[in-house]
Amino acid sequence: MTVHTPIESRTRGIPAWGLALTGSVFLAGAVLFATNLGGENPPIIGTPVPSGGAPLDAVGIIRAAGCQACHGPDLAGTGDFPSLHGVKDGPVSENLQQLGTDHPDDWAILWIAGTDPLVVGLDRGGMPAFGDTLSPEEIAAVVEHLKSLP
Amino acid sequence: MAVNPKKLRPYDQAPRVRAPIIPAAPDNAATAFLVAGLVWFMLATGIGVLWVAMRLFPEQLALNLKMPMLNGVITVEFDQTSVGSGFWNSLLYGWLANAGLGAIFFITPRLLGRRLVAEPIAMLSAVVWNIGLLAGLTAIYVPQVAASGSLMEYPLPVDGVLLLALLLANDSFWRTLLTARDRSPYVSIWYFGAALAAFTGLYGLATLAPLFNLSAAGDALANGFYARALETLWVTGLAVGTLYYVIPRATGNPLYSSGLAIMAWVLWLGLATLAPLDALVDTSVPLVITQIGNVATFLLVVPAFLVVANLFQTINGRWTLILSPGTLPFAVVALTFLAATAMLGAIGSLGSVQALVRGTDWGVGVRLWVFFGTASLAFLALADHAFPRLLRRDWGGALLAEASLWAAFAGTALAGLALIAGGIVHGSLLTQAAAADEITGTLFWFRLVLGGGVSLIGLAAIIVTLNVFLMYTSARRADYALVGEAVPAAGH
Repeated sequence: MTVHTPIESRTRGIPAWGLALTGSVFLAGAVLFATNLGGENPPIIGTPVPSGGAPLDAVGIIRAAGCQACHGPDLAGTGDFPSLHGVKDGPVSENLQQLGTDHPDDWAILWIAGTDPLVVGLDRGGMPAFGDTLSPEEIAAVVEHLKSLP
Repeated sequence: MAVNPKKLRPYDQAPRVRAPIIPAAPDNAATAFLVAGLVWFMLATGIGVLWVAMRLFPEQLALNLKMPMLNGVITVEFDQTSVGSGFWNSLLYGWLANAGLGAIFFITPRLLGRRLVAEPIAMLSAVVWNIGLLAGLTAIYVPQVAASGSLMEYPLPVDGVLLLALLLANDSFWRTLLTARDRSPYVSIWYFGAALAAFTGLYGLATLAPLFNLSAAGDALANGFYARALETLWVTGLAVGTLYYVIPRATGNPLYSSGLAIMAWVLWLGLATLAPLDALVDTSVPLVITQIGNVATFLLVVPAFLVVANLFQTINGRWTLILSPGTLPFAVVALTFLAATAMLGAIGSLGSVQALVRGTDWGVGVRLWVFFGTASLAFLALADHAFPRLLRRDWGGALLAEASLWAAFAGTALAGLALIAGGIVHGSLLTQAAAADEITGTLFWFRLVLGGGVSLIGLAAIIVTLNVFLMYTSARRADYALVGEAVPAAGH
């Protein structure tokens, strides 16, 4: 004898409340879809930040530039992307050690901009160069902020 | 000549033979996956506690070892990043995948009324999967060999081994299903089939991803899609399929409505396939695609509520069972988390909420509730139901079962709440352009609560494993029918 204990069902039909719930939520979903089609997606990484002469907001620049997408919500690193909390003590990554030794004061600015010949040949590990999208003042503000992290 | 038993000495008696914890057959694959899953559950929560501790004290706890090897120096990194990867990998691929495959191989033969086809192949998939996983998790801590991307860190050879294990599991499952006489299998099988096929397909694509030479943005987007699809299709699918099985079994009631169950499955499959599109947030992706994902995430609340309502109606008349330890309390808590995470997903798909919580721990909190709340508790419900039938022994005392339920429930609730509330507070502080010190100081307390929550879940994992160990070593024998055996179906 083969043991076969199927699970029976009280009914095969679909109750009316199930259909009503499905219909009403799908209607709400259609409204949600129709009302959210304007504009475009925000950037995941490396997008220019509009500057209007106001004092530079480093946190705002970091957020808009999408740094958190790779380095984590609190910039403490995710996956292969390193933590930015140690910037004040010099570079963490192996390939930036020489740059940090040669340019202890502005290595982070050079690295983030990524346009100087000193860093052009280095393996960026997927990090975009921000020199074309952020102004030098904005990069400097970001670096100052990173150096203030614990 | 008759023997006087009073004159027997210990050395006259035949030695007591203890059955191995993983029996020869049938059900050896299910037992292997479930036992391995419990070990990974303890390991994952242990690494999780370490990960939270590193988020609290990143510099004090980081460890960087340089080990001389034959062909140079190998660096082993134990920092917040690598330990966090270890936690999510051991949780998803270790505990949840093992328990999910265990659920598939335990439930499928019972619903189809036949032995698993090619059980040795299913058993081999358990061995290959866990060996590959062990190698992959080790590789995470060695930057020289680890690949990039969340949940995609394993080097190519390890990915190949894990993919092979998945193909072996598919072989046994699909051959069992396709050669069964039952042409309209119970809804759990539908969930398992879709989840297993989706996981194998997604893992195969993730393994081949390096061949596509994606840009940094493309890589991050693909990674986000993959992680979200695993959550909606694989983890949720397995959990719901398991709950559809254990609740009618635990209550002895028939399912409330098979029509409702199939309708919910169709809606879940369509919406869970589209929902991961909401992870494709970048200027390079047309907004309409991301919005399809957002609306699908919003609409996932429908199948979730249909499942919850169907199974709550199934429990009707047997509600008193949730007052005593056993399968049903675990399953009811899992259903509650299923409803809660669907609601939170719908709320999180709204534009105003996304603007506030994007880049914070909100999403991590919701995912934690899906993994620990919905899926882990569903699998613990299955473990409660399955282990007596697999090991043919009764559970010991009720105290340990009660303790594991409350520790898992309280820990999951605390950990998820800490991340979700912390995400809202973090988003508010970023909107106010708060100083980094203020943000770090505020989030510290939320992370402290997160640590307490994950520790409680770890305690639950230890208690469940201890209970299984006690069952194996000292519990009373009990007879349960196994598929394919000529034993009465009592308790089956």
